[in-house]
Amino acid sequence: MKRKVLVNVVGVLLAFLLGALVMGIQGYNPLETYYRLFEYSLAPGKITYTLSKSVPLILTGMSASVAFASGPINLGQPGQLVMGALFATVGGIYIDLPPVLMVPFLLLLAMLGGALWSGVAALLKHWFNMSEFITTLMLNMIADFFTAWAITYPFFEENANHPQTPLISASGWMPEWGNFNSSVIVMVLAFVVIWFIMNRSTAGYEWRLSGQNSLFSRLGGVNISKNYIVVMLLTGALAGLAGGLVIMAGPHRFIKGIGANYAWDGVMIAMVANSGIILTLIFGFFFSVLQTGSLGMELITAVPKELIQVLQAVIVLIVVAGRGYFETLFAKMEARRKMRERAT
Amino acid sequence: MNIIIGMINGMITSATPILLAALGGSLTFYAGIFNIAMEGMMLSGAFFAMLGSYYFHSWGMGILFAIVGAILMALVFILFAVVLKMDEFITGIGLNLFSVGLTTYMLRQIFKVKGAFSSPEIVAIPKVDIPLIKDIPVVGQILSGQNLVVYLTLIAVIAVSYLVFKTRFGLRLRAAGYNRTALDTSGVSANRIRVTSLILCGVLCGLAGAFLSLGYVTLFTENMSAGRGWISLAAVILVSGNPIGIALISLLFGFTDGLGLFMQRSLPSQFTSMVPYVATLVALFVYSMRLKKKQTV
Amino acid sequence: MVFPGVLAQPVSSPPEFVLPERMDPVQDIIEMNRIVKIFPPALVALDDVSVTFRKGEIHAIVGENGAGKSTLMKILYGMQPADSGEIIFNGKAVKFSDPGEAILAGIGMVHQEIMLVNQYTVWENVVLGSEPVKFIDHLDSKKARQLVKDKIEEFHFNLDPDAKVEDISIAARQKVEILKLLFRNVSVLIMDEPTSVLTPQEIPQLFDELKRLRDDGHTILFISHHLEEVLQLSDRITVLRKGRKVGTIEAKDATKAGLAQMMVGREVIFESIRNGQQPGKVLFEVKGLNYIDPDKRQRLTDINLKVRAGEIVGVAGVEGNGQLELVQIIMGLIEPTSGSILTIGEDITRQPILEKRKRVAFVPQDRANMGASAAATITENVIMTHHRLNDRFTSWAGRILNFKHAQAFTDEVQDKFDVQMSSGETIFKSLSGGNQQKVILGRELLLDAPFILLDQPTRGLDVGSIEYVHRQIINMREQKRGMLLFSADLEELFRLSDRLLVMHRGKIVAELITEKTNITEVGYLMLEGAADEA
Repeated sequence: MKRKVLVNVVGVLLAFLLGALVMGIQGYNPLETYYRLFEYSLAPGKITYTLSKSVPLILTGMSASVAFASGPINLGQPGQLVMGALFATVGGIYIDLPPVLMVPFLLLLAMLGGALWSGVAALLKHWFNMSEFITTLMLNMIADFFTAWAITYPFFEENANHPQTPLISASGWMPEWGNFNSSVIVMVLAFVVIWFIMNRSTAGYEWRLSGQNSLFSRLGGVNISKNYIVVMLLTGALAGLAGGLVIMAGPHRFIKGIGANYAWDGVMIAMVANSGIILTLIFGFFFSVLQTGSLGMELITAVPKELIQVLQAVIVLIVVAGRGYFETLFAKMEARRKMRERAT
Repeated sequence: MNIIIGMINGMITSATPILLAALGGSLTFYAGIFNIAMEGMMLSGAFFAMLGSYYFHSWGMGILFAIVGAILMALVFILFAVVLKMDEFITGIGLNLFSVGLTTYMLRQIFKVKGAFSSPEIVAIPKVDIPLIKDIPVVGQILSGQNLVVYLTLIAVIAVSYLVFKTRFGLRLRAAGYNRTALDTSGVSANRIRVTSLILCGVLCGLAGAFLSLGYVTLFTENMSAGRGWISLAAVILVSGNPIGIALISLLFGFTDGLGLFMQRSLPSQFTSMVPYVATLVALFVYSMRLKKKQTV
Repeated sequence: MVFPGVLAQPVSSPPEFVLPERMDPVQDIIEMNRIVKIFPPALVALDDVSVTFRKGEIHAIVGENGAGKSTLMKILYGMQPADSGEIIFNGKAVKFSDPGEAILAGIGMVHQEIMLVNQYTVWENVVLGSEPVKFIDHLDSKKARQLVKDKIEEFHFNLDPDAKVEDISIAARQKVEILKLLFRNVSVLIMDEPTSVLTPQEIPQLFDELKRLRDDGHTILFISHHLEEVLQLSDRITVLRKGRKVGTIEAKDATKAGLAQMMVGREVIFESIRNGQQPGKVLFEVKGLNYIDPDKRQRLTDINLKVRAGEIVGVAGVEGNGQLELVQIIMGLIEPTSGSILTIGEDITRQPILEKRKRVAFVPQDRANMGASAAATITENVIMTHHRLNDRFTSWAGRILNFKHAQAFTDEVQDKFDVQMSSGETIFKSLSGGNQQKVILGRELLLDAPFILLDQPTRGLDVGSIEYVHRQIINMREQKRGMLLFSADLEELFRLSDRLLVMHRGKIVAELITEKTNITEVGYLMLEGAADEA
């Protein structure tokens, strides 16, 4: 346990060190830059904003983590997110209920949108044995163009100078207190539910074991193909939920390019978190700190915020590589220790 | 007539980068590497091509820079997947993200722009007129006057086929994919073969990238590869790596792309832009059906 | 924390048959000095082993599974680095960082698992790594093929250079491996358990070839745990036990019993351990089973068999004669083309796997892929299948796992099956092979299914664990369970089975009463099939 924490922390620190090196070479002051980065995202009053911004990251991250841990290589979070967003938007434009009903209704609609899109990939696999790894990628592209079309033609707002939909009914807006958006509560609830499913339920046990070794699980009597579809639908719903919340907590309308910001974040977070649910929460928040802080960093130190994109990828590579490397190293050290113990 | 010539030329234009990247993917496929980093290598190639061409006012330097940039990405892949033995899939995804981040950052840092950069200082790769052939009606308009990279691609198809099936390197390359321990125990390091195949893949993806940013346009936009690396991966999987098969599949994708442009008269552009991705799904579907048929009979 | 294998029973008894070990520069070709090798997390594979090999001898290296024989040879061959120690070859200290260097120096190794490219022809495999070329890198196929043909004739190997490796027999593949090394002019040939993949009838031919190579001046290092073969073939014998060297002796001075005692450290008895109990009613039946694979090859032809209560039916056969397909069909991984499978009279051929598992327990040969999830904890591995068949492991109508009961069940398995482990939270793959198999056995035997399918239940285990597994199997027989036992180890089959079936090319070619047959007859049937077969 301690070792796991150490590996993650060392990996992140190494990535930061590399980032500092790059900044140093370009004549920036790395210490100041990092200070501004964290100041902007973690200072009291800012942290609630960072927390709100972490919602789509953590939800798409959990979507990818649950999928990877259970076997399906669902890389379709970006597509599922925009489909969820579109569903919630359309529902919000045409329907108006009291807020108590409206918010859950739109959230369900968003989950339905995401699940529908991942369900396409699931069925392609189920019926035709087409690998979800490529189909979800292609469906991402298709969803991107489809939503772009939807907000340009059937659901466009008249007189807007770029493609976007009208605002959704105010009853579907996620309540906000200062910088704190209630979408965080939805995210935390989703986290608790997902953690429970993965670690305490029979289904989660079967998914995890199938993800590790599907042949063994099949021989043990697990219904692999049914579980596959359920996992795809669930993870699609999670990504869809993220999309719905992006709309309902943010601009309250679907604006062109809204999904682009979250393109690969979910997959990236799941990978760096080794598909663990708790680590996904932690890294999701951490990446939100980086992304939010990058704005402040750019404002004050003139380091372009795009540097954070590079840093995130480097963190993923180093932490994942380090995990494997340190594990063999620790094992080797343990062996030597045992050897010495025996000799004395 | 002109429409058909236009469509064929459009097909060649869209097929070229996919084909080049897929040829690189073919080499790593035979070496037994699950290489999904063509997208990132291509993107880096596109950026560095623009960079080299801009600074030296020379398309030759552009191509050189593109190849070096893509090889750099290949080296990162080698460091993590071969040296540190990290999962190839995760390395590939990480590398693609790294490439997006790096090119976006450098675009911002060097050219102080967001989104896209274009300048008259960037020199495009020229078209090549072939004497005699260019004067033949119709055929001349297709066989001659194409971009230099198109002809290089043609050579690459032949070269990769020869390399894979007729040379000592090819024998070892395929052995690395079929059974790497067999190769290792034969006294040839399978890792060395894998590294070589990745670097060659870098060269080809770099060329593909150069074609994107210096072929018919002279500009670089963020995430300019736009999924072409993934389509090339699908092409490699569909024909199990065979270079000639890859060429045919790439032309087919190029054709659907051209078809999409053609359909823009009657359909919104968002739908026509979907065509290559839908085509990939259809191709996968046909491929799966063929496999399934083989299994159930 | 207990680390099996490291702390268990230190080897204390001093070696009894040690020859003086001084390097003789004329006779000796290889000297391995004080070799140590540790596999993380805690396996000491080689513990200060020193051994010398002479020019032109056949030197056997014997020991139980896990004694370190293969590891020692892999270190010599440069496949694995030693953690300490030195190797002297032809009077010079050497350190090969990969097999390529070893081959260049003149040391070659034929592995237990055949390492050829199945998709390539014989000649392509032989030249791979030292291919003749013209114009820079163009493969000179004509010359390569001719060179290989010449070598085949030189050594009288009876191989077709153009045959694809996937189409030739295991014995022929082994020859290709040897040829590959001779093609590179090696002087030292390491053979890792070469007979384990051969039938009894193919072995003498291999031995003749090896002796001929020795007489040509080659040195042959021969890894084996079959004592009779070792005595027949070798000039000198080195015995390893638990990573330590017990001694090196001249073969002419050795006896089977003496060697066995050196290997195991105590006396071993080879004999049947069954009692004379009568089998009861039919528990399991296969009727008219045929299977044609996706490539339209007939893999199984008209398989019929019955297993009764309290009976062990053994299935012998060279690997690849339909055993794998039969197991897969019984378990429901693939569907038969025709025919049916019955347990206690009920047809289960096309039932979902979970239904089958109510009546069929399964101990697979491939622990890592079929028997367990290596990355999961022991508890998670132990409750598989039980979690669906036994209400006590779940609540809320099967939706929530009951971890307390799961933990208690792990303890039960640990107790009843003598598993050496620290807790149920331990990751499965950190267990030793023997303990892994005990966990799997525990899970499957406690399913209380009347019929048990055993597929090579002792493959890769050490002698102690094998004995333990055998005792458990006999126990089940006494509890009137029916068992179908697939095994590549004829000794095991003769020790446990009441009846023996022999599979050859997807057919059952003989059904024999164990007491009324012998290893030679079964070996002949395995290789040649029945006399009346076309």
